[in-house]
Amino acid sequence: MTSVIEATSLTKRFGAVTAVDSATFSIEKNTITGLLGRNGAGKTTLMQLLTAQQYATSGTVEVLGATPVENAATLQQISFIKESQRYPDDFQPRHVFASAPWFFPNWDAAFAERLIADFRVPLKRRIKKLSRGQVSAVGVIVGLASRAPITFFDEPYLGLDAVARQVFYDRLLEDYAEYPRTVVLSTHLIDEVSNLLEHVIVIDDGRIIVDEDADSLRGRATTIAGPASAVERFVASREVLHTERLGGLATATIGALGEADRAEAATLGLELAPVSLQQLIIRLTTGESTPPAAVPAGTEQRA
Amino acid sequence: MTTTAAVAQPAETNEYRGGLSRVLSVARLHYTNKATVFTIPALILTGIFAVNLAIWAIIYNSVPVADRGDVSEGLQWSGSTFYIFVYTFVIAVQAINVTFPFALGYGVTRRHFALGTALALLGLAAVYSVALTVVASIERATDGWGFGGRMFTAIYFPANTWYEFLFVYFAYFALFFFTGAFFAAIYSRWRIIGLLLSFLGLAILIVATLATIGAAQAWGELFAYLGALPPLGFVAWSFVPTAIAAVAAFLVIRRATPKG
Repeated sequence: MTSVIEATSLTKRFGAVTAVDSATFSIEKNTITGLLGRNGAGKTTLMQLLTAQQYATSGTVEVLGATPVENAATLQQISFIKESQRYPDDFQPRHVFASAPWFFPNWDAAFAERLIADFRVPLKRRIKKLSRGQVSAVGVIVGLASRAPITFFDEPYLGLDAVARQVFYDRLLEDYAEYPRTVVLSTHLIDEVSNLLEHVIVIDDGRIIVDEDADSLRGRATTIAGPASAVERFVASREVLHTERLGGLATATIGALGEADRAEAATLGLELAPVSLQQLIIRLTTGESTPPAAVPAGTEQRA
Repeated sequence: MTTTAAVAQPAETNEYRGGLSRVLSVARLHYTNKATVFTIPALILTGIFAVNLAIWAIIYNSVPVADRGDVSEGLQWSGSTFYIFVYTFVIAVQAINVTFPFALGYGVTRRHFALGTALALLGLAAVYSVALTVVASIERATDGWGFGGRMFTAIYFPANTWYEFLFVYFAYFALFFFTGAFFAAIYSRWRIIGLLLSFLGLAILIVATLATIGAAQAWGELFAYLGALPPLGFVAWSFVPTAIAAVAAFLVIRRATPKG
């Protein structure tokens, strides 16, 4: 595999705020990478650095082997759809879909038509008058139909309903299978996209805290459930991320398990389940010592 | 994830379409919505013209025949076309302010954006100038639409032939387009603070220039020079601020970043 994006000690400061703090990572060609993190963690700024919309304070970015800054040959291969994308005041969706092909050599008009129907985007209404979800749909359609070798989606579906989001995931996967490309998707709807992601980068407070294959990340933690006494016996000698107890039953989130661990759990009558990516990232970005805000009555927890 | 299995064709385009093609695409982007750049200004100008025509007709029919020449002379101070220049300014502001972050999302470099926008504005200036020259010629040929009215041949357009009108109109449109572009570029890069500082800087520059002329006791000379200048020469001087605004806008936008 070859990497198409290389960031080295990438840093962006806005006055006293360090939005991206010494980020070093690479993104492999033709993969779908999730850029996850809380609001204000630096996701948008990081994407703006990768697409040369912002200038780095220090560090370097290489996209397709060259700096993207004012590099027409590189930027032509990039489509960047962001939630906060502004459109010219007088534009209607049809103007967007008419002009996009001038900039994206791989634009597929038939695919765009199909997406317009899927998302029910009104073509002849001013974008200013569209609902939040319809504006998002316009961006999603451009991002998909442009078939840019590197496509960035920054929270692309604000205001899209569950049906439309599912349409987005389905179309993205279908089209990605047929026309492989590099997709970077930032979102906080982690569970919804977790099946899409091959690679996960988690940014928290400007720093990259996770840069891992989605599969190995999912294997990093396991939930065990069963009788409280058995759970307690099992976790006694292990690192525990989180436990919950309800009556005589308990669940615990613990680190990766080997074959022997699994066998031991089985003999104790414990059930094993993978931890959802969302749960794992919540644990990672809230700090392991911080208990979740809302604890249902009748449960106790250990950390 | 195993979706990479079915590979139809590589999506990557190694073919680089060349700078000129990108610049032309940006220019075209500004014309995407024809209503904004052609239909709406034409409609509003037609509306203003219709009102003017009505007023001219009323005046024409209410003054003695002997005074009609005086009326026509008075009407040459018409500022009715001023609107179109304000609209021009607004188009330039929007072209940069809103289209800049939009074009960056399309993977356009700042350099190509600036060049394409300049091309689009020059193109519009040319089209508008030709259109106004045509109506100005009609206005002259019909002796003010039959009522001695003056709108497109007002005193602010010191021209006598069609090509002089074309020159004057083009110079004015270019001036309004590129000063609009300049302030929009400042706003795009430094927001309101930049705008305020640039107004302040401009005011200081003007006052300093006036003070320098005063200190050199050169007012008399200057007025003598300007007075001796043919009207078209005076208009030609507007290309100096136009060019400065254009170059400054280019330099400012080269390092601008989209906000919010």
